[in-house]
Amino acid sequence: MPDPTEAATPRVAVEERLFSLVLALLATEQGLTKSEILSTVQGYRQRYSSSGGNANLERQFERDKDDIRELGIPLETVEAPGDPGNNQLTRYRIPKGEYDLPKELTFSPAEIAMLSLAATVWRQGSLSGESRRAILKLRSLGIESDEPVIGYAPRVRIRESSFEPLRQALERHTVVEFPYLKPGESTAKTRTVAPLALVQHHGRWHLSAHDLTVGDKRTFLLSRIVGPVATVQRTWTPPETGGHAERSLNDLDALWASQRAVIRVEPGTDAATRLTKRASVSDSGTLELHYTDVDVLADELAAYGPEVLVESPQRLRDAVVSRHVRTVRTHRGGTGASRG
Amino acid sequence: MAKPALHARDKLAFLLALVPYLMDHGSVRVADAARHFGVDEDQIRESVRLIAVSGVPGETSSYQHEDLFDIDWDAFEQDDEIVITHLVAIDDSPRFSAREAAALIAGLQYLSSLPEQADRDVLGSLMSKLALGSTGRPSEVAVGSSQADSALALIRNSVAAGNQIEFDYLNSRGESEKRRVDPLRIQSLDQDWYLRGWDHLREAVRTFRLDRMSNLDVTDEPISHHAGEIPLSESLFESSESDLEVVVELPEDAIGMIADYLTSDAPVPARNGRSRVTLHVAHDHGLKRLIAGLSGVVTVISPDTARVRVADWAQAALDRYAGEIDAQ
Repeated sequence: MPDPTEAATPRVAVEERLFSLVLALLATEQGLTKSEILSTVQGYRQRYSSSGGNANLERQFERDKDDIRELGIPLETVEAPGDPGNNQLTRYRIPKGEYDLPKELTFSPAEIAMLSLAATVWRQGSLSGESRRAILKLRSLGIESDEPVIGYAPRVRIRESSFEPLRQALERHTVVEFPYLKPGESTAKTRTVAPLALVQHHGRWHLSAHDLTVGDKRTFLLSRIVGPVATVQRTWTPPETGGHAERSLNDLDALWASQRAVIRVEPGTDAATRLTKRASVSDSGTLELHYTDVDVLADELAAYGPEVLVESPQRLRDAVVSRHVRTVRTHRGGTGASRG
Repeated sequence: MAKPALHARDKLAFLLALVPYLMDHGSVRVADAARHFGVDEDQIRESVRLIAVSGVPGETSSYQHEDLFDIDWDAFEQDDEIVITHLVAIDDSPRFSAREAAALIAGLQYLSSLPEQADRDVLGSLMSKLALGSTGRPSEVAVGSSQADSALALIRNSVAAGNQIEFDYLNSRGESEKRRVDPLRIQSLDQDWYLRGWDHLREAVRTFRLDRMSNLDVTDEPISHHAGEIPLSESLFESSESDLEVVVELPEDAIGMIADYLTSDAPVPARNGRSRVTLHVAHDHGLKRLIAGLSGVVTVISPDTARVRVADWAQAALDRYAGEIDAQ
């Protein structure tokens, strides 16, 4: 709906309104009420009507608050002491002490260079935008970076479409559900979980979460989430202590160390060159490999075809054999499309 | 609606970063500020103009002169020089958001396997600085360090020194060749490490997997092709005229798993919620490995020669397990 006052007043750019709002909220000690903000701050005041009917403007303010908080700016809400819950009296402010980067925090030119390289690790998705913004904030300190760390182009990929919704659920402490297909099962089961951490271990993204159906912590491979991640209209209170990501990586490391496969590789082949480098024990073509997930390893070993023979464990051996049987079945004869 | 809002948010982030930088420097040339932030000069000028007319409502609630930022307009208009003469409300750099800090921390974790990062204490201190400078506890996203290939440090040294390297390389046909390469860039994808370099044998830029190299030697010979002179494409795997085009069928949501090989053709819907896509592969020796590793997910449709290659590869593997198969 066109705002009748809009035509008469010059349009204020969105970034100017947001910038003015941040300045106004930083400058106030005791905070500003919503009507003070709408009637005085640049970008709102031009469209404010003193006779009421500012619903559009109020909604605009709500969205602007979200935008500002998205940038990590600590926009605070202070309830009126005598009248909590009365949002006409609620005050808004940005406490300077929590806005400013602590003074004692300094970065050397070498550290800035390393952080800039760390930011390039992310090329897609929200992590890429966020690391770019973090670098922008670092640049504002005015420290000249050392020569960029040359010769490297490190990349971490996020190919699973479930990553972004899970990360959002992680931030907002929401419960989510998704269809999860365990290897060897023909249909996916819906899992309802409270996410604790997202970690990449040996190149694969895992979700560590509290599984509400089984009432315990579980780890999920993102590549096995076979459908959309849906938010369940329920939040949960995260545990006080953090460190879930670190614990989850440690758990995966421990699992990796405890599981061993014994395989034989044909000398002089691709499998021999590559897998020998990873083996914990290597004795004339017989290798011992650690692994975290038997089916992930089976996929990898199956790719080497006849260059690899699995000796143990039996489950891995069976998994590789059944992959080859399936590959033959779907590729022998005329077009085997959709038959398998 | 989501797009313009994001744009404005990024502009706001830029304004909030620019003010403390300008203030610390007293006087900055537009060109220098643009270089420092890695943006074009017009973005700096536009932002400075906006800052110069912005401020707080003030005591009178009417944005009086003393409530606004001010700059030396003569210096700005005539000499392209920025001098802030009056400051309002902000004087420090903003903190990182919890998510921004988490993105950099996870990036640093990933880099911890680089030879540069041998000193773990430095990395740890940098991560705690980021956590300290963030408005909330950095979110729980982490990347485990990858197993660094022993060749990495050697190649890193040769890139820094500008020396040619020599190694035995198994191509995916399984043939070993002595290669001499001008190392240009070390690239990684998740846990895999690659070298992009000028290949003296093929007289072209080639990508080599570090774990396929053996008997690596750094020579005394300086490189003849330099990183600045050779355009390196963003994509690791460059397709060439001689590539095979192969049509495969797979579930729609598995397309990401073969993204490196996709052509620009759009997927065509097939039966049972599956799609058909066309892949570019260098030769069917590579294809058979790719497909055998995605058994049950991706099926080759055409050409028939490719289907036969894949089936033969898996059958050869089964023959090694033949005893068990017969017994079933």
